[in-house]
Amino acid sequence: MDILDKLKILADAAKYDVSCSSSGSERKNKAGGIGNAAVSGICHSWSDDGRCISLLKILMTNYCVYDCAYCVNRVSNSIPRAAFTPKEIAELTINFYRRNYIEGLFLSAAIMKNPNHTMELLLKTVTLLRENYNFNGYIHVKAIPGADGRLIEATGEVVDRMSVNIELPSDEGLKLLAPEKKKEALIKPMGLIDRQIIQRKEERRIFRNAPSFVPAGQSTQLIVGATQDHDYRILKLSEGLYNRFHLKRVYYSAYVPIVNHPNLPSITNPPTLREHRLYQADWLLRFYGFDADELLDEAQPNFDQLLDPKCDWALRNMKLFPVEVNKAEYETLLRVPGIGVKSALRIITARKMAPITYDGLKKIGVVLKRAKYFITCQGKYYSDVGFREKLIRLSLTEKPLKEPTETNEIQLSFLTMPAIRENVNSIITGEL
Amino acid sequence: MVIYVFDGSFEGFLTAIYESYYNKEKPDKIVAMDDYVENLIDRPIFIETDEIKSDKVYAGIKNKISTNALKKVYHVFLSEVMEAPTVIYHYLRLGFKIGNKVDLNLMDDWVLRMDKINQQVASEKHRMLGLLRFQLVENDLYYAPLAPDHNIIALMANHFAQRMSDQKWMIHDTKRCIAVVYDLKEWIITPIDLPAPPVGKEEYLYQQLWKEYYQSIAIKERRNPRLQKRCMPVRYWSFLTEKK
Ligand code: SF4
Repeated sequence: MDILDKLKILADAAKYDVSCSSSGSERKNKAGGIGNAAVSGICHSWSDDGRCISLLKILMTNYCVYDCAYCVNRVSNSIPRAAFTPKEIAELTINFYRRNYIEGLFLSAAIMKNPNHTMELLLKTVTLLRENYNFNGYIHVKAIPGADGRLIEATGEVVDRMSVNIELPSDEGLKLLAPEKKKEALIKPMGLIDRQIIQRKEERRIFRNAPSFVPAGQSTQLIVGATQDHDYRILKLSEGLYNRFHLKRVYYSAYVPIVNHPNLPSITNPPTLREHRLYQADWLLRFYGFDADELLDEAQPNFDQLLDPKCDWALRNMKLFPVEVNKAEYETLLRVPGIGVKSALRIITARKMAPITYDGLKKIGVVLKRAKYFITCQGKYYSDVGFREKLIRLSLTEKPLKEPTETNEIQLSFLTMPAIRENVNSIITGEL
Repeated sequence: MVIYVFDGSFEGFLTAIYESYYNKEKPDKIVAMDDYVENLIDRPIFIETDEIKSDKVYAGIKNKISTNALKKVYHVFLSEVMEAPTVIYHYLRLGFKIGNKVDLNLMDDWVLRMDKINQQVASEKHRMLGLLRFQLVENDLYYAPLAPDHNIIALMANHFAQRMSDQKWMIHDTKRCIAVVYDLKEWIITPIDLPAPPVGKEEYLYQQLWKEYYQSIAIKERRNPRLQKRCMPVRYWSFLTEKK
């Protein structure tokens, strides 16, 4: 099989992994070498689905011994199979990189023969790239659950990011759709990677030259809509992963109905709005100081389709509003619907010079469409419907939101948002 | 209106700033020669570029305002937006008055205009760091043409000099007929008038592979051309291998 056919099969099989981030690493080029990592990440193109392309995202192979119901690569599915050699991947990566098509490589694999064999192949490939090709660009590799800890450790020393995809948010889901996978087997490598990251950071504080270990951290992916799990359960899981394993990102992937299986729901469209709400909520957890329990509970376990999670939260907590923009602390400003990190920082800078007026807010670029219901400016409240929960709710939900990925996405500026280390323009940020 | 007209160079512009402090007639506008259209009402004052004067202003911005302000001035100048020189002039007047606090004045219209143009330049630069496409041509040279809105190739050079340090490359701004050329040691910026060089067989193969990858990676069930076009404006597509 020639390289073009392999690429077709193994890129196609990799596309449902949504992560394409190339951020968070500061790897430098070496003398005579090629490549480095850009800490804010760089998008190199956008595919027809509007997603940013930053990395060459491929599977090493799609031969798989497992039979996960939701997956195209499952052993019982009859599809064309292929496998790259480490050298083929290295050549592709280097040649794409030299032409500035990509920031680096995201290498994953189905389970060929067994977890150890697969992990060995991955390790061999990334080592070849780093050592023989002197490649210092970004590399993200999958840690294969069930593989020997030493293999995972050795890989972590070479790459910038590692991830283990949990995919199904609960035990029941796993039992139903991926009976060969055990939650413990998925969690174990995460714990291992996390401990290594912490330990190496300590070592590097003492020995500057100690090897780095996945400097861009680890991430995971959860499929939304393939199981019965509600948003609350998913968000609690994410929160747990952030707190316990210090994950850099949890990605959410709306289930795309590609395979028929009695245990899978029959839907026609991927639940993209739901996925979007989860990204928004995830953003609230990571950057705005929210807890999952503030946003949802057993009584209301799913996000409102018509309101973003922050508006929804604010409307349920009217007693905390309105806040005075000239006095409120940074953390309080961040909780105002419509005010993001950038706006909050600008408000704080501007009010050092002089009190901010309502027009002044507009001038410095604060979008007031939602914010106006929740703030006062020099003591004055500006909303046209008064401070009444019902009316505000109505004004905020009047028109059902359009396709979310098109309207709600807010451009992040890599210059003004030092706290955010993800790709600009990424559709999967969910900033509010 | 009094209009200062300078030769279009950064030194010429800084000289104009110098003159604005010593000339009794203050400018209402400062424009580059190429943007100046003569008319009956305006009174042009033609500025003669003077290195000593421009150096003084350069050092003045750095020492009396801030290095950051100097960088901003340069980037806004490179925007080649017609009103940019005038915006910078007003920004600098405020800056020389209040020093490094100038950038905190978010309520000042000129400071805001500066920020906005600066942001446009920065975001185009960042975007092009990703969208630039090299092609392997004769003599092992990697050649990349582009036609950006703003004059950004000098701002992109360091990034590629670090990253692609072991390959010879050229970034060619076809709109302005200038290029950054890197020879494995250092980069220089030079005027250039050159048709696109032909590509060989190896280059053709990798272009094919990249196009194939680009097609395969899209999830058809989630097609979203509007989002795609917003992230990657169509005016850049003619230089993108995957969109040709
Ligand atoms: S192990 Fe991975 S590749 Fe194999 S069937 Fe399951 S999800 Fe698919």
